Formats: sequence, structure tokens, C-alpha cells
Amino acid sequence: MRKFRLRWRTKTTLCLLPSLAGIVFFFVIPYFRVLYYSLIDNQFRRRFVGLDNYIDTLGNEYFQLALKNSLLLIVVAVTLLILIALLVSLALSFGIRKLRVCRAAFVLPMVIPSGSAALVWHSLFSGWDSAAPLYLLFVWKNAGICIVLMTAAFTCIDNAVFESAGIDGAGKFRLHTRITVPMIMPTLLFSVLLSIVNSFKIFRETYHYYGGTNYPPHHSYTLQYYMNNNFLKLDYQSLATAAVLTSLLVFAIVMTGLRLQRRFES
Amino acid sequence: MRKVLPVVALCFFLPVAATVALSFLSEGNALTLNNYADLLLNCFIFYPMFWNSVLYAGLITLAQFLIVIPCAFGFSQSRARSKSALFAFYIILMMMPLQVTILPNYIGLRDLGMLDTRLGIILPAVFSPFGVVVMRQYMRGTDNSTIDAMRLETNSLIKVLIHVVIPPVKVCVFAVGLFVFADCWNMLEQPLLFLESDRLKTMSVFMANASSYEGGVLFPAAVLFIVPVLLLYGFFSDKLEKGLVFGDLR
Repeated sequence: MRKFRLRWRTKTTLCLLPSLAGIVFFFVIPYFRVLYYSLIDNQFRRRFVGLDNYIDTLGNEYFQLALKNSLLLIVVAVTLLILIALLVSLALSFGIRKLRVCRAAFVLPMVIPSGSAALVWHSLFSGWDSAAPLYLLFVWKNAGICIVLMTAAFTCIDNAVFESAGIDGAGKFRLHTRITVPMIMPTLLFSVLLSIVNSFKIFRETYHYYGGTNYPPHHSYTLQYYMNNNFLKLDYQSLATAAVLTSLLVFAIVMTGLRLQRRFES
Repeated sequence: MRKVLPVVALCFFLPVAATVALSFLSEGNALTLNNYADLLLNCFIFYPMFWNSVLYAGLITLAQFLIVIPCAFGFSQSRARSKSALFAFYIILMMMPLQVTILPNYIGLRDLGMLDTRLGIILPAVFSPFGVVVMRQYMRGTDNSTIDAMRLETNSLIKVLIHVVIPPVKVCVFAVGLFVFADCWNMLEQPLLFLESDRLKTMSVFMANASSYEGGVLFPAAVLFIVPVLLLYGFFSDKLEKGLVFGDLR
């Protein structure tokens, strides 16, 4: 009997292996090589230069531009996205439950390829010289996943909560701001986190929107353009440094988000 | 809110409808099928690129099932001590944008001699941690007693997976499958950077270069680019809404 149990445990642990092996091969080991590249002067001499590459990259005007645009996108577009997703989820969960068609319309953009969406955006917003159309495209494409996550969290709330709040005489607005929204705080936080991460993917939309050029207007220049142009130049040091800096930024954002989420332990 | 919501929903739906409508309009705004004729009869590069997208997205999705389901099961059943730390690592990796992972992927592929091959597009995407995280969260809700009961009958892992583990999480399996397919269908950076040969490239690259082709091929191509995901969405949309429940990672 003991042998039988031991074997089962080993088997369940072995289930992790294929995925783990792939991740080690394509992500972990190469990441350490990237880290190494960011610390040397070039591919051939391989002399350690400490943090010189980081100082260069942080001082590079295009890197700064990309970073500025990314932060602007996070502050403006993610805020807009979360507000819209929250209002829509509230309406879907507590207002008109039966309108499934509405719900499908919000989730649909999630699966629509960026190439097609950017094309129609280009016809709708021709003549606009700002990043605003792309912000709207971002909201349009990413609202779906947030709405799915939030409505799922809302439907988990026990109906008794509303009954007792109704007896206490809470109005609809107070009910939502004081009870329902705080109750899904962990999910709300995660949606913010996911949207910030998704905002890094705006490159696909931007690239299609500007017809496949590597030199978009300054207001839409993002990190992936910086990476692409360095890929074309085969400048591994700049690439590696930018990748490491981005990973540190995202790591900080994710850890902060998850730590905040953990504070809502019920 | 009752009146506003359908209007907002309509706004979300409008771009898709507009794409379809515009694909049937000629330059003089008359109804025509010429755009489709231009694309399907005169633009031969469209075909390999379209089928490449089908091939890549299809194979990645199928291969992900084989990797993701056992891995999520392993995370829920294994008693290995480092399990929770490992899962935290998966969550962080899931959140890493392409700008971080694409250079490691590129280096891994270069060392394996897989740049400019179909496998080079497929392999790194197969090991994306997203599905594992979502499915592990979903499996947390299922109980172990059925697994224990099944184990009295068999010691085969595959039988347990097929008969007991997968049925209750089917919704999640379909949701992850649809999400992964749509994401790979939309892949752009990888074919741009990992591939040289045009015959290996995908619909996304076609769309990005479409202004260089003759005739009004853009909108019909956009419509055909939407059709496969739209069909899948039609079949599995309810599962997508129920299966992607991983907002609470505590």
C-alpha cells in the first residue's frame, strides 16, 4: 500500500515536468543569457561593463519616449477601461440579467484579431493626430476579459447581502459603492493588474494602425518599437537591457498588485 | 443604465459590423463583390499566410491541452514542497509582456537552430503559462473524492485524467482553448522577428503589409481573418464567460 501511494505522488509531480521543461528551455535559461548580455560591452569582446548599458538605455531618448507613452497609456487608458468594465459588469450582474446578447457584444472584441480591428479603426478615425483612437481601441479590445472576471465575481456574492442591506434602507448607489464593489476588490485589483500588463501589448494594434511601419508618430511610439528597431540593428545589448528593465518594472507592478490583493483576506 | 447599456453594447459591436459592410463596398460606395474577387483570385500570397495562421494557432492550442491539463492537475495534486513557490513563478511569468519574453525566446530558438522554421513559432507559444494558471485556479473548486475513488480501480494516470479530472473542468478547457487560439491567431511580433521567409508568415503579417497589394483586398481579408475566431466564439462563447474565472489569485 505504501509503495502504491508513493508512486501516485511521484506521478502527480511528474505531470508538472513537460510544462516546466519547456519554460526552463525557452524562458528561464535564455533569460539569464539576456541578463548576461545586458552586462557586457558586445558579443565579441564580452568584457564586463557593469551597469553602463543600463545607464545608456535609461538615457536614450527613444527609450524614455517609449516609457513615457507606456505610462500615459496605463494612467489614461487603463483607468478608462476599468471604469467602463466596472459599470458594464454592474449593469449586467444586477440590472438586466437577461440580455445575454449585450454581454456577448462586450466579450466579442477579445477574440477579434488586431489586424482587422485596426483597419476599421483607421477608417473611422482618419485625420486624428493623437494616440486617442488607439486608447479607444485598447479599451474596446480589453474590456471583455475584465467584464468576464468582474461579472463572475459579482455573481458569487450571496443574495442575503442585498436583502439585509435593503432592510437597512441602503439606496442603490450606496449599496454598490459600500458593499458590492468592495466585496469584489481582489478581482477588481487583478483586473487592473491584467489591464496594465495588456497595455504592453498595444504594439499589435499600433503596428497595424500605422500600416506596418517601424516609425510611428511620436505619441504612439512604444517599447516594442524600440525593441524591433534594435532587433533590426542586431543591437543585443540595448535589447537585453530594455528586456531586463521591463521585466523589473512588471515584476514590481505584479508584486505590488498581488500583495494588495492578499490584504483583502476575508 | 437599463437604456444606456444596449447602446454601449452596440458601440462595441459596431466595428465588427462595419468591417463586414466595408468589405462589400467599392471605392464609389456601391455594393460589389469585386473586393473579394481581388483577394481570392489575384492575391495568391493570401492563401499560404491564411493557412499558416490556421496551422500555428490550431497546433499550439492542441499541444497546449496536452501540456496544460496535466500540469494544472499536477499543481492541484502534487505534494512537492516547492509547489506554491513554483506556482507564484508561473503567475509572474504569465504577466510578463512579450517585450520581456521575446528576446529569451529568440535566443532559445537560435541556439536550437529553429529560427525561420514553423516549429520556432509553435514551440515557445506551447509553453505559455497562461492556461496552467487559469486551469489550476478552476480545479481548486473540484473535490478529490472522485479521484480517490477512481484510484481504487486503476493506477493509470491517463485514465484518471480522462474519466475523472477533465469532465468537471470541461468548461475551463474550452475557455482556455478559445482564448489561446484567439491569442495565437493574433500573433504578430513572433512571425515578424523569428521568420524570414514570406511563405511561413501569418495573416497578421499579411494585414500589416496589405496596403502594398493591388485592389481593395484589405477589408475582405479583414473579414476572412475574423471568420474562424468568430465561428469558434459562436460555439464556445458561453464557456468563455464561465471558464475564465481566475480573478482572485489569493
